[in-house]
Order: sequence, then C-alpha cells, then structure tokens
Amino acid sequence: MALQGSSQSESGRHEQIISQFLLKSLHIILDSRIPSLSRHDLSGELTPVSRVRKSDKWFNLVLGERPASLEDLNFWHRNVMDPMIIDVILVHEGPSSSATDDLYTTSGVGVPVETVIERWVVQYEPSGTVPPQQVEAPASYKKMYQKAIVLLRSLYSIMRLLPAYRIFKQLSSLNQTYNFDLIYKVSSFGELLSRAEEKVMKQYSFAPVEAPSGRLSISLTYQPTLSGFNLAPSTPVPPNIITDYVGSPAADPLKVFPCTDKGIPATSFSFRRIHSPTSVPFQRPHSWSSGIHRVAPFKQNHPLCGSPPAHHTPPVPCHSSSPPDIYGYRIQGYRPPSHKKGISFDEHQLSPPFLPSPSPSPPTYFSSGNPFRTAQGTETAPVSIPLPNMGRNSRYTIPNSSDPNRHSLPPMSPRSTRLDLSSQESPSSGSRSFRKTDALRSGELSGFAQLYSGQKIFKDSKDDSGRFSGIVSSSGSPRVGFSRSSSRLSFQDDLDDCDFSYPFVVDDVDTSDSQTRTPEGKEASESTSQAFPSARKSQDAAVGVLVHMLRTAPPLRQDYSCYSSQTSKSEFEGEVGSGSGFCVPRKTTDALEELKSYREMKDLLLSQSGTRVIKKEEAKPTAFVG
Amino acid sequence: MNCEVCQLKELEVEHFEIREVLRCILHTIVFHRALGLVRPKDIDSELFEITYVQCGDAELEKKIEEKIDQFIGWVEKHPNKKSQICLSFYEVKNKQATWFSNKTERLYWEQWYINLNVAQQPKAHFAKSHHSKVVVDPGECALVERSVRRAALEAALREVLFQIIKFVNEKRDHIPPVPNVEGVSFPYEITIPSSSDSSFGMDVIKRMLQTGHPTMLS
Repeated sequence: MALQGSSQSESGRHEQIISQFLLKSLHIILDSRIPSLSRHDLSGELTPVSRVRKSDKWFNLVLGERPASLEDLNFWHRNVMDPMIIDVILVHEGPSSSATDDLYTTSGVGVPVETVIERWVVQYEPSGTVPPQQVEAPASYKKMYQKAIVLLRSLYSIMRLLPAYRIFKQLSSLNQTYNFDLIYKVSSFGELLSRAEEKVMKQYSFAPVEAPSGRLSISLTYQPTLSGFNLAPSTPVPPNIITDYVGSPAADPLKVFPCTDKGIPATSFSFRRIHSPTSVPFQRPHSWSSGIHRVAPFKQNHPLCGSPPAHHTPPVPCHSSSPPDIYGYRIQGYRPPSHKKGISFDEHQLSPPFLPSPSPSPPTYFSSGNPFRTAQGTETAPVSIPLPNMGRNSRYTIPNSSDPNRHSLPPMSPRSTRLDLSSQESPSSGSRSFRKTDALRSGELSGFAQLYSGQKIFKDSKDDSGRFSGIVSSSGSPRVGFSRSSSRLSFQDDLDDCDFSYPFVVDDVDTSDSQTRTPEGKEASESTSQAFPSARKSQDAAVGVLVHMLRTAPPLRQDYSCYSSQTSKSEFEGEVGSGSGFCVPRKTTDALEELKSYREMKDLLLSQSGTRVIKKEEAKPTAFVG
Repeated sequence: MNCEVCQLKELEVEHFEIREVLRCILHTIVFHRALGLVRPKDIDSELFEITYVQCGDAELEKKIEEKIDQFIGWVEKHPNKKSQICLSFYEVKNKQATWFSNKTERLYWEQWYINLNVAQQPKAHFAKSHHSKVVVDPGECALVERSVRRAALEAALREVLFQIIKFVNEKRDHIPPVPNVEGVSFPYEITIPSSSDSSFGMDVIKRMLQTGHPTMLS
C-alpha cells in the first residue's frame, strides 16, 4: 500500500517535472528568439535571486517574468505526452523586392515570405518497454530533475550560438529598423517542411534525459546559415510633404476622408525614427497592438487618417493597402501579449511596415474620446487661430474649425467675425475713405479697419512692409488718425479678455491688406479716444490691442522703421498720394484690396453690433472731423 | 567515482585574444556545472561575435579574471609555448585523520583541459613586405591577415563551445548530487602552468595523485 502511494506521488512528481520542463524549454526558446517576449534586463536592476518567484526557480534557472502568452500555451498544452513543436519563423522580403520598397504594398513587390529557420521539438517520449511497476528508487525523480537542469542549461547556451540568435539581437536593437521579423508558432504537430527547406536544414539533438517510463528529449532542425536571406536594415523613407491637405478634423469631425487605393506610397514605413507619425493611416490600427484591441470594430476598415494632435503633422490620405495578412501572421505567432510587451513587439516586429507611435496612448486618445470619430478619420490639428470667446488655451491647439472658411476674412476670433460683418455692411463707405471728403465715413471705415488690421498686424508686417506703407498712403492721415484713436480705446478695454498673440497665426491670403494701418492707428487713437462711446469697446479694444502690439513689435525690416518714422508726418498731412514720402511706393490696386478688406471688417462689426453702433456714429459725426 | 576528462580542441590565439577566449570557455563550462539557482547573464564577447553565458556570480567572475591574469603573465614569460589550463570540479572528502596528516581529500570527478597555442606577433611579415617591390601597405596586409585569423579563431571557438555543450550533455551520470545552494554548486579549481619550466609536468602528476586511489596519498 505504501509502495503504491509512493509510486503515485512519484508519478505525480514526474508528470509535474515533465510539464514544467516543457514550459521552461518553451520559455528559453521564445526568450531567445522573439524580441517582444524576451526580457530586456538591460537596466541592471535585476531582482535578486533570493526574491525570485517560486515558479521561476524551476530547474534552478531564473529567466524572469513569463510572458502572458506562455501561460496561455501552458493551459493549451495539457497533455504532457504530446510533443511541443516550436517553429521560429523568419518573415522577410521576397526575392523580387527591393530593399526600399514598401513591404506591404499591393503592387506585389516585397511580398513577405515566411521561412521556418528553426524547429524545436520538445517532448516526453514514453517508453512502452518499461513497466510502471519497475519504478526506480524514490530518488529517481531527483536524478531526472538534476539531469533536466543540465539539459536546460545546454539549451540556454546553444540558443546563443545558433545563427538565428544574431537576427534576434538585431531585432532587439532599439536603434534600427529592419525589413525582417521573427515570429513563432507552437503546435503539437509539425507542418511538413518544404523539400527545399529540408535539404538545407541541419539536425541537432540533445542527449535525452532518462526518466521513469520514458525520456525527455529536445531536438532541433535549423538553418545553418541565414546569409541567403535579404536581411537588411530598412531604409527610412524621407518625409513626404502632403500638398493636398484637406483640413482638420475639428472642422468636420464626421467627415469621412476618401481613401485612395494606393495613396501615398510608403511615406511612413520604417518611419520609426521619425517620431512625427506621418504613418500611412490605414496602418495605424496595427501599429499599436493595445490600440487595435481597443478600437477593434474599426481596425480593418476604418482608416485613421492623420496623427495625434500633439505632433501637429499634416493629415495623410487614407491608405487602403493594409497588410491584414501580415497582421494575421502577427496574431498567429503572437499570442495575446501584455500591453507592455505589446509595445515592444510593435517596435521590433512591426517596424518596417508599421509605424509604431512613440507613445502607446494615441489610440487611447482617439478611442476614449470619440471612437466613432476615430473610425471616421481624424486629422492632425494644424496650428490654428482659436476663438477667443471659447477660451484661448483650450482652443489653441484645436484645429481651425473654420477651416473651410479660412480663406475668408477675418481670422477666427469673433471679434474678427464682427469686423467682417461691419465691413461688409458698408462697402461704399470704404471706397469713400480714399476720397478723404467724407470724414465721418472714412472714420467709420478706419475704425473698423483697425479692428481687422490689428488682428493681423504681425502677419502683414512679416509679409510686405511695402504693402503696409501703401495702405497708410491710401488711407490718408486724418482717417488713420481717427482710427488709431478708436482702436486704441477698444484695445485697452479688451486687453483682459483675450491675448492677441495667437490670432496672428493666420492665413495671409486675403487678410494682409488691412494690417498696415495699425502703426498709424495707434498714434491717432489718442486724439479721438474720447469720441468713441463705450459701447464700441468690445470691438475696438481688440483693434487697440493689436495696434499696441504692432507698435511695440520690433521692426522686421529697415523699411518698416523708415516707414514708421514717416507715418507721423503723414498723419497730419492728409494726403493720399504721400506714398512718395515712404520707402516703398504703393499702387492703387493694393490700396483697393485693403479697402476691400476694411469693408468686410466693417460689415462684420456692424453685423455683430447691430444698428446700435451705426446710430451712435451718426449721432456724433463731428468726432471724426480732424 | 569516475573522473571524466575532456580535452578541448586546441586554439591558436594571439596574445591579446587570450583573455576573451578564456572567458568564453571558462564561463561556459562553469555555467553548465554550476547547478545551483542562477540567473544567467548573457555576455557579448568583445572580440568575437559570440554570446556566452555567465552564472552571474561575482565571486566566480573575479576568480576567473585572476586566473586569466596569472595565465597571461605566465605566457609572457614563456612565449612560443603551447599552454594548457585545467578546470577541475571535485568533491571534498574528509579523510580520516591520521598521525601525520589531517587533510581533506579532493575527489575530482571532472576535468577540462583548455589547450591554447599562443602565436607570436607576425614580425616576419613586416620584413617580407618591406623587401617586396609590390606597392602594398604592409600594415594593410597585416590587418587582412589578422582579420582572417580572427575569423578562423571565432569559428574554432564556436566549435569548442559546441564541444563543451555536447560533452556536458553526454556525461551526466558522474555529477554528484546538487546541493540546495545558489550559483556555483560544486567546488572547482583552475590550474594554470606554474612559473617553473618543468612545473607543467609536475602539475599533471600532482593531479594524477589526487585523483588516484586514496591509498596512494598516504
């Protein structure tokens, strides 16, 4: 009875050793071949041997934390009698591809090829000739265990001497991307190798460990040399400038951007070092394994165009040539990893075709906020002009919601919107400003124009100082003087409301015309500051701030300073044709353009303020008279 | 208990390659014989594209470095000689105390002989190239030759490591029971040729006496 009991415990012990042996050998093999599963104990901060977990002490070989995939495999491989066949597969470019081609384009070039470079067979071979009753001494499992320790040490050493280890080391390197990858496949039966493979592969077998009722064996079939494969660092593709930028997602979050079949070829593959993720959008779901799981419903068919806003990269048109097959291989060979490992997996295994985001969070960013939006397609937020009323900071990096209107005047601030309305409502008054006969009307225009010009003051000053001076000449001194005073008053009022540093980051297509008046406007505002009612503070304050900023801004060119020195003269001259006194002569057409912009600004202001402003202006016509 | 002996393939090394070659071989052997709880440490060889494994035992590493230093010193004093380093594993047996001796006996159960042939610096090649009329940089010739030799040595070293692994796997029955310790589980000894010219033979005789029948030592 005691013997039976001891034999049962013995057999239990044996089975436990066999099971752990299989698991340990699998851990050793994968740890030395699959970069994403290997432990990177490069920090030197290793857990002391004394604090190692019990499960890791098996066979006196501490390997570190087991990847989650190994636990799944352990669950799968319950029958210790089944052999465990581990294929180490090299994913590389086909022979017809060039090194610089995209690995996963639909053109057929660079089709990935999978080659089994190592096949490990770890198994417990039961011996039918040894009857179970003839069990050795109770210490037999100890002997078997000790021999298994030695065998696993040999396995560990030889993993580092085989040719595949060099590939593993290359892939483990964080400083380089390659056009190949290593994946694995574990099964209880081995798929037949091709004849070509069998011809070139060599066999190696470890001496088996004798065990009661069988023996533990490890054998290997491997490629003795890997020089025949096209294994090379992938060439980083230079960034491709997106010329057909289609706007920002904030403009139309639900807008679906069209996907072209081929899109931009390989603009972002092997972009690993270029951390601005200008990835081909369709690849994006695959570049983060954790992100893929989160946005699973959209991973295949909904391109993620663009990149995280933080990177401020232009959006990339959707690329439909995703490699679902390769992804399938990835998943096949890569059991669900921990997120931590998943990131490194992305980096090492997905590097050529996928652009791993430097941060694991981007999919989270999209998905947590608005998955549908993510699915539809998001774009990088360009630097845009925020709406002051909505809060400066919150909108500073949000894409310009008025993108479709970006070519229209004025910039994003509601103040500028009011300017547009005010300028539009009295187009005729704008034209009269050039005549200098109607002081009231010209004062109106100038007042409104200052609001608009003040917002774009930096913009135009950068572009063309000549144009700047031309506007002054066309506007004339009294008008400008009045507008300056008015704008100054309005600026002071609204200084606390918003910061006018950002509105100057605006398109310069049509908005540069009216900016030139601000220097004069500032000086003239003093004389007419008292004339303006407080009701216009909100509108004029913006202009005032802009004028102030323009005034205090350093000149960009000598012409500017030359110009500014001359403006004081032109203020009181009241001459339209004083352009000769300035450094750069202005043409009438330029002035007309500026007038147009002033009109729009005025219309905008008027529309916003309603008839109230207009009434007050009419009530005090004398205030504008010089 | 049998003493298993393994004679490793002879390696032709240059003076500056001795250290790295010995590190590879000694650490690999000890890793397969330090059967206590270890956390393996992968070491990339500085001279060769070989990764060998250490036990992670600082004391072991220190002892091996000391022995290598001693060996290099010996080689400098005895150039152009084939040398041998012996790594032995033994058990300590307490010999019954007698009137004249109270020693503990070492019972060697495994011995590894590392055979090195330290090559001289190729000065002759410089002389040849000096007299030749071919306009070739003599330094370049030496570099090419050195790289060829280095590649050959690397291949030979890899073969030696495979040889170790094979021997370790084939001979397992003679290993004593593993104590429940960390790191190096069995006492070991690294023997290098001593200073005297005739000492090498004496060392061999000493070992033979130690591994022989206990009665021989009395």
